[in-house]
Amino acid sequence: MKPETRKKIDELFRHYPERRGALLPAIYLVQEEFGYVGPEAARELAEIFEIAPVAVWEVLTFYNMFYTEPQGRHHVYVCTNLPCSLRGARPLIRCLEERLGVHAGETTADGRITLGHEECLGSCGTAPVMRVDGVYHENLDLERALAIVDQLD
Amino acid sequence: MAQITIDGETYEVGDGLTILEALDQLGVLMNEVELPHYCWHPKLSVDGSCRLCQVEIEGVPKLQIACNTPVRDGMVIHTKSERVEQARRGVMELLLLNHPLDCPICDQAGECKLQDYAFDYGVKHARTDLPRRPAKKGFELGPTIVFDQERCILCRRCVRFCREVSQTGELGVFQRGERSLLETFPGAELDNPYSMNVADICPVGALTTKDFRFKVRVWFLDDVPSICNQCGRGCNINASRSNNRVYRFVPRRNDAVNQTWICDHGRMSYKGLTEGRCTEARVGSRRVNYDEAVSTAGDRLRSAIDAKRPIVVVASPFASNEDLFVLQRLIGDLGCEPGTFAIERGDSDALLIRADKCPNAEGARALGFLESDAAVGEAAIALVLGRVAPERLVNVETQVQLVSHEADISVSADVVLPVRSHAEYLGSFTNFERRAQRFSPFLEPCFEAWSFGDALTEIARAAKVLGWEQPFDVIRVSRELAQAVPAFAGLDLESLPAEGAPLR
Repeated sequence: MKPETRKKIDELFRHYPERRGALLPAIYLVQEEFGYVGPEAARELAEIFEIAPVAVWEVLTFYNMFYTEPQGRHHVYVCTNLPCSLRGARPLIRCLEERLGVHAGETTADGRITLGHEECLGSCGTAPVMRVDGVYHENLDLERALAIVDQLD
Repeated sequence: MAQITIDGETYEVGDGLTILEALDQLGVLMNEVELPHYCWHPKLSVDGSCRLCQVEIEGVPKLQIACNTPVRDGMVIHTKSERVEQARRGVMELLLLNHPLDCPICDQAGECKLQDYAFDYGVKHARTDLPRRPAKKGFELGPTIVFDQERCILCRRCVRFCREVSQTGELGVFQRGERSLLETFPGAELDNPYSMNVADICPVGALTTKDFRFKVRVWFLDDVPSICNQCGRGCNINASRSNNRVYRFVPRRNDAVNQTWICDHGRMSYKGLTEGRCTEARVGSRRVNYDEAVSTAGDRLRSAIDAKRPIVVVASPFASNEDLFVLQRLIGDLGCEPGTFAIERGDSDALLIRADKCPNAEGARALGFLESDAAVGEAAIALVLGRVAPERLVNVETQVQLVSHEADISVSADVVLPVRSHAEYLGSFTNFERRAQRFSPFLEPCFEAWSFGDALTEIARAAKVLGWEQPFDVIRVSRELAQAVPAFAGLDLESLPAEGAPLR
């Protein structure tokens, strides 16, 4: 962990009545640095927070937005909740799986893209929805989805 | 105090307790009041995750979980109403959704709460034909515990045990929702001195001990209450036996001694009960039958008495209160120096494990024996109970040693008498807090061996010591002990309650 990250975590503690409260933002900071939070980083966090490593791991694995394994340069997540599924999210994700040669949840061999499915993105009115590096792409059809993914470097 | 009514019965309970706590303290939980629960455990924090202990409370619209609902004065609770039973059926259906139907090959079968309540509340047919969730099968969580993940119902008792009791925190529930899985931190092991307790508290067959796994069906076992003899704590245990063989020790609840726990070392000590036993009486290097060894010891004792030569006694903190009382009386009748005993010491911790590695040091003290590992004085004969350091007996001519294990036999022993281990006779130990606790026999040795008290009495009878005409009878001796020694007043083996009692 970079000293800057560590410094930011120490700064976080000032904003919470208990150290433990700062765990979520601290995990974000570590993920920002490494792209994911593996067991080693989780151990380091546990030491800083003076809690058991399992306690960090429980939080890490609970939330979808934390990654415990290295991710691709780009994150492509397709919502497969009910409204999106009714509007064709499942053929969409199968099509992306085919194009990228990976299953949902996996990263392409060249480390370019991690594909995944996601629970509700809160944009049911514009289903199906896909989130690419934090940006929403709505009212998708297969062609547009493929075009968006193809232009990622 | 609060007055609560459960299924028509009224109870007086302490304020601030939850319903389950109150029932547990009254001692009625699971006997008078059958209130099913998985995640709640009397010695762990409340989790409220299994939802099985839901009850109906008059005036409260929704069902409440008894484990996390504080009692209120005048509370009227129903545990058998149709709403409650329906809720239990619902909970059981959800728990059984992903639980494999592998009771025939599961070690927990027969003592499994999930199995029991599945019979009471389970649905006969699943309403889904989707495959059960895949999970890891039979993998080792550490050196002592095997985990069948697909059987886990995520009650988190083991997680809380590791955090709150052993304070090692190895286990956690990772992922969430229907993907939740119990595991250790990646690459870490469940490895602490109390690890095997998680198998006891696991309400299903998910956590089993490597040692007991697949050894025997539990319905072939009967449990005999005993006391662990590995340290001064004297943890209460049940010895599970079948066909004169002991298969496991499990902790027996005693809130004043060991709560509901036992250390792994103590749990595994059952193996030492049968391994390396001294099975044959000896005179010198000659193997003799028991009677001959007793009469030889008696003859030598007689000659020492007749010659008015000194006799010494070395007691053992592994002998029972009754054994030691017999020995103390013999010391009085022979007029020898006060008996001594030595203690082996080892590791200790703040939870259960004590440094004094013997079960009855306090009993020996209470009965007038002195702790010493110094060499005994010059003597014609020494009566030695158990293991002794050879250098303590350099001034002794004839050494009569009563031992349970081969390794304890002193090189200089002249007469060796095999004695029973505490697994093989009735008696009591006094733990480090001066609490007398009874242990019952659960094994019968397949060779001739008597208890310390029995063997000592027979030696005294063979030596024709005055007043030693009667054979040893542990119940009679314990009554005499209760009468003769004020500390043991009222604590004879028949009066001693199952949870023991402090010395006076």
